[in-house]
Amino acid sequence: MSLKPRRVDFNQTWGAIRDTIKGVITLDHVPRPIWNDRFSDVYSLCVAHPEPMADRLYAETKQYLIDHVSKLLVQVQEEGEQSLIKSYYHYWSQYSVGSQYLHSLYLYLNQQHIRTQKMSDAEIIYGSSDSSGGEQMEIGELALEVWQSGMIAPLGQRLVKLLLEAIGEDRTQKTCSIPIDAVRGTILSFVEVQGYKKKGQLQLYQELFEEPFLKESGEHFKRDAAKLLQEKNVSLYMERVKAKIEEELLRARRFLHASSLSKVSQRCETHMVAEHLEFLYSECTAMVQGERKKDLSNMYDLLKSVQNAMVLLIDTVLDHIKTQGLAAIGNIDTENIHITFVENMLGVYKKYKLLIQEVFKSDQNFMGALDRACSSVINHKFGKPVCKSPEFLAKYCDALLRKSSKGISDSEVDEKLAESITIFKYIDDKDVFQKFYSRMLAKRLIHQQTQSMDAEEAMINRLKQACGYEFTSKLHRMFTDMSVSADLNNKFNAFLKQDNIDLGINFSIYVLQAGAWPLGQTVTTPFTYPRQLEKSVQMFENFYHNRFNGRKLTWLHNLCQAELKLGHLKKSYLVTMQTFQMATLLLFEHTDSLTFREIKESLQLTSEQYHRYAASLIDCKLLIADSTELKPETILRLNMEYNNKRTKFRINAAVQKESPQEIEQTMNSVEEDRKMYLQAAIVRIMKSRKILKHNALIQEVYAQSKVSFAPSIQLIKKCIESLIDKQYIERTPHSSEEYSYVA
Amino acid sequence: MKLTIKNWTGVATWRWVANDDNCGICRMPFDGCCPDCKLPGDDCPLVWGQCSHCFHMHCIVKWLQSQPVNQQCPMCRQGWKFNNK
Repeated sequence: MSLKPRRVDFNQTWGAIRDTIKGVITLDHVPRPIWNDRFSDVYSLCVAHPEPMADRLYAETKQYLIDHVSKLLVQVQEEGEQSLIKSYYHYWSQYSVGSQYLHSLYLYLNQQHIRTQKMSDAEIIYGSSDSSGGEQMEIGELALEVWQSGMIAPLGQRLVKLLLEAIGEDRTQKTCSIPIDAVRGTILSFVEVQGYKKKGQLQLYQELFEEPFLKESGEHFKRDAAKLLQEKNVSLYMERVKAKIEEELLRARRFLHASSLSKVSQRCETHMVAEHLEFLYSECTAMVQGERKKDLSNMYDLLKSVQNAMVLLIDTVLDHIKTQGLAAIGNIDTENIHITFVENMLGVYKKYKLLIQEVFKSDQNFMGALDRACSSVINHKFGKPVCKSPEFLAKYCDALLRKSSKGISDSEVDEKLAESITIFKYIDDKDVFQKFYSRMLAKRLIHQQTQSMDAEEAMINRLKQACGYEFTSKLHRMFTDMSVSADLNNKFNAFLKQDNIDLGINFSIYVLQAGAWPLGQTVTTPFTYPRQLEKSVQMFENFYHNRFNGRKLTWLHNLCQAELKLGHLKKSYLVTMQTFQMATLLLFEHTDSLTFREIKESLQLTSEQYHRYAASLIDCKLLIADSTELKPETILRLNMEYNNKRTKFRINAAVQKESPQEIEQTMNSVEEDRKMYLQAAIVRIMKSRKILKHNALIQEVYAQSKVSFAPSIQLIKKCIESLIDKQYIERTPHSSEEYSYVA
Repeated sequence: MKLTIKNWTGVATWRWVANDDNCGICRMPFDGCCPDCKLPGDDCPLVWGQCSHCFHMHCIVKWLQSQPVNQQCPMCRQGWKFNNK
């Protein structure tokens, strides 16, 4: 056949087409040649000569479809209300497929005639004037549109009512008298019938079906919740509600369009969770205190999606952790209080961290609560003027790093130290910890009691990571001094060898930088060296002064230690002791008894501190006193019967222990350091800001110092006052609440 | 011999002994360091001139570099010579 436009008789051709589309739309058999002929008939009508007859064809087709759908409407209703959905679905499946075929048959009309009139995407998006003004649609779309107006419009309400009943039935009886396919197909037909639209595809579905459905479901949930509430059992209720939500989601997935899923679960949560928060909360405290994991996890799942509902749960958890923490570290009254403190606290921390991971899926809010709880527990003062936690933690680290910690492998020590950082991070007074830690480190280094240098350095690096370079710089300098001293010892020994000098003893020395070591204001005591030591000390001082010009050495006798061989007993013993102890014992070289006064005079030591050393010698039974209290007249003699299973031991441990005075001294020096730190911070801030309001200044100072400690406002005020006295800053003339920097 | 010393480990601290508390150039204490350094000690040493005046080494070197001619001690205006005794 020719594609050339020709004269066509419309009525005759339309007649043929109408017969065929009747077959197409009802999915009847249409033979291929006939289909082909009708396809070309559509073409020839569209290009007919002299006038194309496309518009007429369109109008006739539309009329045909309208008539067809109204016939179907009658048929759908014929079988009665009971099977309305079923027959609707039956005819809909037929019609929707048939209309697609019809669409193909009219391909030429669609593409050449209609699409050219259609609005472009851009016109739709940017909202060109009128979209519905009698415009022609593609045949497939036309068919759907006709269905909507001819079928859904008159039947919609009735269908929806039946659908809701069907779903209600599914809810209560778990079965559905109407096949699920039909229900689902009918519901989805509301979406499909608008599927061709570029926007608002879901509008019909939402207005016609979803809204009443959600309302109905809401009522249902309310009733359900009321029923469940009667049992007054929170954990059972939560379980039921969780199951209910699951079930409703499954149902929604079976029946509804995917866009409704979240709306259904939200509706469910509103009616079953949000409206009964009081009820859920009523057992919240008990649950948390009992640590009922399953209940808590249910509670979390339910509350998660309700806005602001979690706050109370979080607070309860926080309080609980706090109570547990305080209980764990509150009443420790053992000898090793520091170890118990750290281990109990870590126990609490780990337990609740695990709980939060397990039950609350590591929710950030709960992690935050854990942090807050731990930091308030760790910084709790238990009615004492200062918080003891930094001290305990430092002691704990000391115990681990010291040589004496037996039976623990290196990796275990490392692990424990790593864990202690967790607690360190919560400590507010990090500077107090640093003071204690550095004192203990100093003692470990000087008395050669470090277990392993690697462990020491690893620990310092951890602290550096947590608190920054400034925090550990002094600790690093102590390490440097140790290596410098080792070098110095080598050089000194080489020098001795070169000059052929024999000191008579094994001599080694630590030379430390005065500022870097936390050794307190050690009062340099007058002290006469035992004869055996004189030469060594003299030689070294000469050596040092020749080598380093302009430096002054100060001996710290209380830190020096000696190893003394005791030859007066049955066995010979090697005893490590402190220099004053050694000097005392050496006095007995040529005599067996001396009075306390004589000893003091020959050593030129002041009484108070020497008291401790002498007493320690009596305590370990190397000396015998003839009275229990040390008086100047007390006679001391060597214990010739001394016996000890071990032949090598140390007796300076007692002297090395931190005395209460030392602890107090540490606290005082912390206080002083804080003042300096705050003043420096204030001057820095004022120098850059020139003029600043009181509150703003306090805030900035607080922010800067937060890394190492939490200063009290009072202390900051005091520092501001003292800086005003020193004329670094002054109050501005027009306001007492404002300061300016004095250049 | 009843008692013999086998080993002795001495502990001593050192500090600078200068004829003044503060460096005459930067006015910082000798116990501290010059303004360019962060930590006092071996890394920021003191030096003495033959005129017996003493400065942070970094300070006096900087001073000498800024004086193209007549390198003098900033305190007493004598010619500066390092005292290397």
